[in-house]
Amino acid sequence: MMRRSGRWSVALVFTLLSACGPKEKVARVAIALPLTGDIAALGQGLERASKLALEEANAKGYFQGYRVEARVFDDRSDPREAVSVANRIVSDPSIVAVVGHFNSGCSIPASQVYARAHLTMISPAASNPKLTQQQLDPEWKYPRSIFRVNTTDDVQGPYAADYAVKTLKLRRAVVVHDKSAYGQGVAEEFRKRMSSNGGNVLSFDGINVGDKDFNALLTRLRELKPDVVYWGGDYAGGGLVVRQARGVGLTVPVILSEANMDPEYLRVAGQAAEGTYITFLGAPASELPSAQDFVKRYQARYPHDELKAYDHWGYEAMSIVLDLMHEIGPDKEKILAAVPKIKHEGVLGVTQFDEKGDTLNKTITIFQVKDGTFKPLK
Amino acid sequence: MIVQQLINGLTLGSLYALIALGYTMVYGVLLMINFAHSEIFMVGAFASLLCYKALSPVLSPTAAFVGGILCSFIVCAILAFAIERVAYRPLRRAARLAPLISAIGVSILLQNAVFLWISDQSLAYPSAFEPRHFQILGGDINSLQILILGVAVVLMLSLHMFVNKTRLGTAIRATAQDATTASLMGIPVSGIIAITFFLGGALGGVAGALNGMYYGSIKYNMGFVPGIKAFTAAVLGGIGNIPGAMWGGFILGILEAFAAGFIPNGSDWKDVIAFSVLLLILLFRPEGLLGKRVQDKV
Repeated sequence: MMRRSGRWSVALVFTLLSACGPKEKVARVAIALPLTGDIAALGQGLERASKLALEEANAKGYFQGYRVEARVFDDRSDPREAVSVANRIVSDPSIVAVVGHFNSGCSIPASQVYARAHLTMISPAASNPKLTQQQLDPEWKYPRSIFRVNTTDDVQGPYAADYAVKTLKLRRAVVVHDKSAYGQGVAEEFRKRMSSNGGNVLSFDGINVGDKDFNALLTRLRELKPDVVYWGGDYAGGGLVVRQARGVGLTVPVILSEANMDPEYLRVAGQAAEGTYITFLGAPASELPSAQDFVKRYQARYPHDELKAYDHWGYEAMSIVLDLMHEIGPDKEKILAAVPKIKHEGVLGVTQFDEKGDTLNKTITIFQVKDGTFKPLK
Repeated sequence: MIVQQLINGLTLGSLYALIALGYTMVYGVLLMINFAHSEIFMVGAFASLLCYKALSPVLSPTAAFVGGILCSFIVCAILAFAIERVAYRPLRRAARLAPLISAIGVSILLQNAVFLWISDQSLAYPSAFEPRHFQILGGDINSLQILILGVAVVLMLSLHMFVNKTRLGTAIRATAQDATTASLMGIPVSGIIAITFFLGGALGGVAGALNGMYYGSIKYNMGFVPGIKAFTAAVLGGIGNIPGAMWGGFILGILEAFAAGFIPNGSDWKDVIAFSVLLLILLFRPEGLLGKRVQDKV
């Protein structure tokens, strides 16, 4: 009996050895973005950029004794799907960090799943302040694992309100948002600053983007005689709202939040987009001296795709994770402990996180559509 | 402003009504809800855009525009006909739920086919002409809105005449009343069902084309919301009843426009308001506004 089980255990040890012996050790980074759905274009751009960072690191032999792979997940901009993706990610022990998600509405519920599993999450685009704010709640029982490389909406919304009142001298605003965590959030921030800096918010309305017809609402807003329209939401709704606003004769300036910085906004709005303003978080890659080299490499790697508005952040979020893995190895607990202390010099310039996990970089750039392109205003 | 909102509501409502007709006609003959209809609407929008783009180098913009509408009419009629043949007819004798599931399957298939092969992004729908504006009773109506209302009303009237005044129409009504008896009277029921799909699909396709022109962009998932709304309109008017679908569409469109257009924060509440009215009507008239109370066919 003893001999038999002894022989079995020897056989077992051999099987195990042969299973992992010759294979290279693999660590994975999850990329969780909307790759299909309404704003797939932005998600796909981010995926390309973050994969580029990984390819470059692997090519220069950045990791000793293991290989790093990306595992890509699609959250379809759907909060429920995002939570299910997050659960799949935390159940894969080879994943050491997450780059994602894109939408605030997806990032907030998913971030709680990652925090519970002590997995670092670096968002390249989610801008609702609540995402990192929730970690400061005394009820928060998990480690602080949520970070982002982009500026937030409590900077963007007030910036737009100040721009309207101080620069454009427009005081009577109507606000429309898409009822998402992001769109409504940034619209609220705009409204708050507008009411405190001498402006006046005449109305605050949410729409279902899928309805596609906002003529009735915009006709009512026209009757309120506003000076300026603010749109909080992404380009799926922004293009339609601007086009129909012009259609019903609401011709005053429009300011849009940053998720409209995509050619699709210009396509959907058409001629109506001319003259509209868009605030952008941080600076776009074209305006950043530190990102010029990245732009060239991106275009060389993906000659058939154009660089999307958020791509440099995706690259940076991935680079931060890869640099940490290079320094301290593919260990998710060690990475989690090290992220708050980083001082990362990359395409965005210097990235450091405050106590919440937000970047210390708080700049906003403002653009205006001229001749069918986004032109930065100085 | 009330005239303006009425115009907004009528335009939206006529698009709902055109789609609702497809739901109601199929329900009339088969007692089945064709959930793939919203995707036929979407395919109509894409078909018309692709035709428009193909025709515009050789024809004048207006002719290409008419060509686009005709194209969506034909493509969607054939598509609906084919769907019936492939996905519903083999299930005619199956349990009631089977064709419903099959319809959802077709809907997913069409949506993903367009997503993968045509575009996963919004496509801009170029405007064939600069819309002109007209003033009536203090409201502003543009030529595109007139066109949509006109096309919708003409199509609905022709359908109404067709169903009530021709032999084929009589056969459709007979099949809707009682398919078994109709077949005993020598009516080719399968053929009549196919014709119903053909007509419903054509109307849905035209609605898709008009929707694309009016809002200026189309997308693979554009069918879902109008589909649900049009289905609601069909129920509101009395599902299975053709004039009911038209009235249901107009009423729903106007209700939505008034809710969003007169109540502060109304756009947040317009669906709630529209569906509450639907609930109220169905509480007092479960058969819908124009539906007839029928005994269950046992």
